[in-house]
Amino acid sequence: MGSGKSNDLLPGTLDLLILKTLARGRMHGYGIAQHLKIVSGDVLQVGESSLYPALQRLLLNGWAKAEWGTSENNRRARFYTITAAGRKQLEVERRELDRMILAIHQVLES
Amino acid sequence: MKLLRRIDYWLNRRKRDAELAEEIEFHRLASAAPAEFGNVTIAREDARAVWIWPWLESVVQDLRYALRNLRRQPGFALVALLTLGIAIGLNTSLFTVFNAIAFRMWPVKDPARVVKILEQAPRFKVLNGFSLAESRYFAEHARTLSAVIAASGGRVHLGFEGPGKTTNGVFVSANYFQALGVAMQSGRGFRDDEDILDAPENVIVLSYAIWRDHFGSDPAILGRRIPVDDLPFIVVGVTQEGFRGTSPGGEDLWMPLAAMQVLTPNDPSTREFLWSPNDCCSNVAGRLAPGFTRAQAQAELNVLSRQFHREFKSEAGDVVLTEATLLAGFDKRREILPAFLLMFAAFTMVLLLACANVSNLLLARAAARQREIEVRRAIGAGRARIIRQLLTEGFVIAAGASMLGTALAWKLPALVFAQLGEGPNVRLTPDLTVMAYATALAAISCIAFALAPALYGTRSKVTRARLSLRSFLLAAQVAISVVLLIGAGLMVAGVRLAKDRDPGYRIHDVSVISLDLPASAYDATRMRDFYAQLSLQIEKLPATRQMGVTAREPLVNSHWSTVIRRPIEPAAIVHVTEFQEITGGYFDVLEIPVLAGRNFRASDDPRHAIIVNETLARRYFENENPIGKPLIVNDQTREIIGVVRDALLTGLERPVPLFFQPFGGQQPPKLLVRAGFAGANDIVSEIARQIDPRIYVHSTPLSDNLDRQLAGSRVMAGVAGALGGFALLLAVIGMSGVFAYVVQQRTKEIGIRMALGAEPRQVIALVLAGTARAAIIGLAIGYVAALGAAKLLAEYLYGVSPYDPRAYFEVAAILAISALAAAYLPARRATRVDPLNALRVE
Repeated sequence: MGSGKSNDLLPGTLDLLILKTLARGRMHGYGIAQHLKIVSGDVLQVGESSLYPALQRLLLNGWAKAEWGTSENNRRARFYTITAAGRKQLEVERRELDRMILAIHQVLES
Repeated sequence: MKLLRRIDYWLNRRKRDAELAEEIEFHRLASAAPAEFGNVTIAREDARAVWIWPWLESVVQDLRYALRNLRRQPGFALVALLTLGIAIGLNTSLFTVFNAIAFRMWPVKDPARVVKILEQAPRFKVLNGFSLAESRYFAEHARTLSAVIAASGGRVHLGFEGPGKTTNGVFVSANYFQALGVAMQSGRGFRDDEDILDAPENVIVLSYAIWRDHFGSDPAILGRRIPVDDLPFIVVGVTQEGFRGTSPGGEDLWMPLAAMQVLTPNDPSTREFLWSPNDCCSNVAGRLAPGFTRAQAQAELNVLSRQFHREFKSEAGDVVLTEATLLAGFDKRREILPAFLLMFAAFTMVLLLACANVSNLLLARAAARQREIEVRRAIGAGRARIIRQLLTEGFVIAAGASMLGTALAWKLPALVFAQLGEGPNVRLTPDLTVMAYATALAAISCIAFALAPALYGTRSKVTRARLSLRSFLLAAQVAISVVLLIGAGLMVAGVRLAKDRDPGYRIHDVSVISLDLPASAYDATRMRDFYAQLSLQIEKLPATRQMGVTAREPLVNSHWSTVIRRPIEPAAIVHVTEFQEITGGYFDVLEIPVLAGRNFRASDDPRHAIIVNETLARRYFENENPIGKPLIVNDQTREIIGVVRDALLTGLERPVPLFFQPFGGQQPPKLLVRAGFAGANDIVSEIARQIDPRIYVHSTPLSDNLDRQLAGSRVMAGVAGALGGFALLLAVIGMSGVFAYVVQQRTKEIGIRMALGAEPRQVIALVLAGTARAAIIGLAIGYVAALGAAKLLAEYLYGVSPYDPRAYFEVAAILAISALAAAYLPARRATRVDPLNALRVE
């Protein structure tokens, strides 16, 4: 899953997916990537070169918080938590995406 | 706040970067095939870029957009830049001066560790210096100070200068240069063995300016003998350029304290000064020893001072330590600070005025850009984003104005100071404090002028609100210029009055003849002998009554006072009173009438007879006749033989209690003669030379003293006038801008009205009514404010009433004419509107 063959997502969708993932609970960067991969049935393979900028963006916007902790295999890892503002943003982006998909769908079906 | 978080990221970027690296490394190790992991550095850089780049990019974008916008409207950009630039420049100039005298430390090494040592004498409010004896005591015993220095100023005559010219010199303790760490251009400061009281040495240190101007920067200056008051002094050092000593007046020569005996061996006050523990007034300073604070040093010196005074059975005052700035402990401080406060208030008003002006211009542009702003909002720009864009434009203007202002402040203060003649010892080059001030001014004014238009311009429904803000700004502009113009008018009137007012004596056709005697050759006895011979010769002259003799001519900048009391008052009562030493001819030449009793006669005993002025008579002899009454002057009983009319002899503000005693001949005499006494200078010169050929006689008009007295006020009135003029100019620009804008906005409406047959007069009235109302409200507010503020000026008006109706009336007239001028062009344009064109515009 190198950065070269990362799947094209709709712009802004990655943030939404990460927020959604975090809404389930605290998770580190690798965990988020794994989760997206498994849940999407290996379709969404998020490379680190898009994952970490996205995570920094979330931190900067105050949608997520980060803290250091210990991973399942006893290594120091950085865990991300969604904030209240993040949950609100998740709602907004979710609705926006629904609208967009519906619109695309309508266009394709016409 | 996103911005705060961004700043936090920026400040802690090292830590954040390390965290990011660790996190990505964890990811790499955790993944199934670490070797196949992508480029770690690129991942890290991309992630890091999120922190600052998008923001920085948008800022750059805003800046470029703002610059493009300003370039497209060069007229607006120029007016805004000049208006604000000049206003910021004026404020920064004022601050430069204030900074130089109030905040800037002495130009010495590590000035923060240098302290001025002053004494709050018992019963007196002013801060004094110390006796040299006490400063030596401090130097010997203080452990909190690594060095104690003492200095005392005096003027000396340098042999190579023209006759009668003197230079500011100062007598200093030997450690002066070394303790202060003054850099030397060449040579050295004084050695300890050059300031031994019992073995004075004729050595001198020159300032860079003297060395350059009088010795052509001669590299072989060290060791040369130069004549100081006709005595040879050996040059041992030249200070570095820019060092003019530590006193407010500045100094150009330094000699050891002990050398005072060489220059004035016969003056009894020299001995007193050098040895007596009860003398005051040498300027003392010190350098804090490593590890000690000012408070610790102050505590120690208070203890030492009490010990010292106990030893000599005198009363100790409180020792006060201040920072080594010019103004600290300076006795004129109480006069200077309120004057500066007043000036800061006036200059700030000008800045406000400039901000209001630019604000108005921006408002007009915001209205014109309504479309652009709506389009940008429609494609998704938030209001905050647009406000930020508009503020960026304001920032660009403010930054430019700040640069212009700093450049102005570089030159302007020195130009104004040049008007004061021999300027005070200040360094007027802007330093970091000044730069910070200019930048802060720019930032504040940027918010002041750009924020309101940006807020109003981005509101959805702007029309009504914008008009009221516009009117408010216009009214404020008019009000501020009214206050400034009235203030300026009053001050100019004050100076004019002071110059033309009758001071109570003749001033414009009187000359002062001065006789310079070599001080080292004349002690009190010889001086008296000389004067006896001189007066004998003068009395032989036919016009003898037309010559008055005095120790100090009127309006000279030194005041002599002593203490007086009436015999019926207890001895503890002292009235500090100024006095003059004169002959009877003084009142004749100056035409000061003797109201009661008689004038001095040559036969009067200088230690007995005195004449008082009206103010003194009124204050101490209310309803009694003072003639023949005794008065105790400095513990000696005198008799009042006459009362003269009040005259402004010592200062221009108001008559003060003053008494006169017969000239005793202990000081070099000054002769007052009327202009009608032709050739007086030559005659006196001839007589004096016969007695002693070394004496130099020269004559100056008495009105020179008046001019010198008024120099400060004249400069201040000039500054106030310039400020008022600038304010008026800004107000006119502001008004005409508003008028033009209103006409432009209502072109269509005017066209329709004209088409329906409206008269040009009605159109003008229609267009200008709202603006004129705002101007009139501003005028009214300005008058009320001016009436309130004028009281503060009273002290600088030389008796012109702060409510002088003429100044108020003149300002109303000036503003009315200016308003008409500002309205003329827009009004003409309004009446020339072609109805058809106007309707076709839309």
